[in-house]
Amino acid sequence: MSFGKKTAGVLAITLTFGFLTALSASADDGKGKRLPSFTSAPSSALYKQECSSCHFLYQPWLLPERSWQAIMDESGKHFGENLGLDAETDKEIRAYLKANSSDKTAARWAQKITSSSEGMTPKKIMDVPWIKKEHREVGAGVFKRPSIGSPSNCGACHQKGAEGNFEEDFIKIPK
Amino acid sequence: MKTFKGLATLAAVFFAGSVYAAGPNAQMSQVLDGLKKEAGAASFSAEEGRKLYNAKRTHSQKKEERSCTTCHTSNPAASGKSTAGKVIEPLSPSANPQRFTDPKKVEKWFKRNCEWVYERECTPKEKGDFITYMMSLK
Repeated sequence: MSFGKKTAGVLAITLTFGFLTALSASADDGKGKRLPSFTSAPSSALYKQECSSCHFLYQPWLLPERSWQAIMDESGKHFGENLGLDAETDKEIRAYLKANSSDKTAARWAQKITSSSEGMTPKKIMDVPWIKKEHREVGAGVFKRPSIGSPSNCGACHQKGAEGNFEEDFIKIPK
Repeated sequence: MKTFKGLATLAAVFFAGSVYAAGPNAQMSQVLDGLKKEAGAASFSAEEGRKLYNAKRTHSQKKEERSCTTCHTSNPAASGKSTAGKVIEPLSPSANPQRFTDPKKVEKWFKRNCEWVYERECTPKEKGDFITYMMSLK
């Protein structure tokens, strides 16, 4: 065998080092400290009032900045509805979403959202490939239950979802 | 200073309470007066407002029946549910004193929801009738 012990050792070290580098690049804060899985964006009374009167209060880090931009650009037909936002409200909400989007958030799930939606502009959170994958075991019929309604209703199952906590411990799927 | 603050709070609470019992607050009275002028109407009709609230209409594109009651239910004093599954607090001021106290909010939701149900803005007469109906509920 030409594949000697020494080569194998070097290879193992290289692989380990490469793996660790990749891991740290995606999951630390740049100072070597492991990032938390999620975070709660600073709350905005305006965002809450304008957006979560009708739907679940989505943490802004659930989508990358360009997604929010696309959604706000279409606020005249937001999933078929005209949100009728005045210029001032529009500006303030855009700034809030931008500052707290997935690309700007130092948390592991936000980073997964950013990297998994590279090259695309998801306009629904469930269209983010990683989030979709995380829900692969939930049947379509479950989302259609009257107690849930649709996949957009995160809070139906994620009891602390509005705070950004989507940990398994706080999932309860209603009948 | 503390005493003043306390008194002011007490006065505000008392004022808010008494205003509610008496009908629309000062700002909303102004809104209603403005709507009357715009509509060229001497008064508004709670009965017309009730009809507007319960009217059903088929959306031209979505081909589905829509009404105020779709989300707010046929009882304005009950909690409703948005199409995205969010609970909506009661619309009737009798059950939810916060309702119809903030002109900006009222106008915003007329704009949003008249378009959702009727695919147009509501007229000053319709808005006046609607508010009058909601205020008349006990």
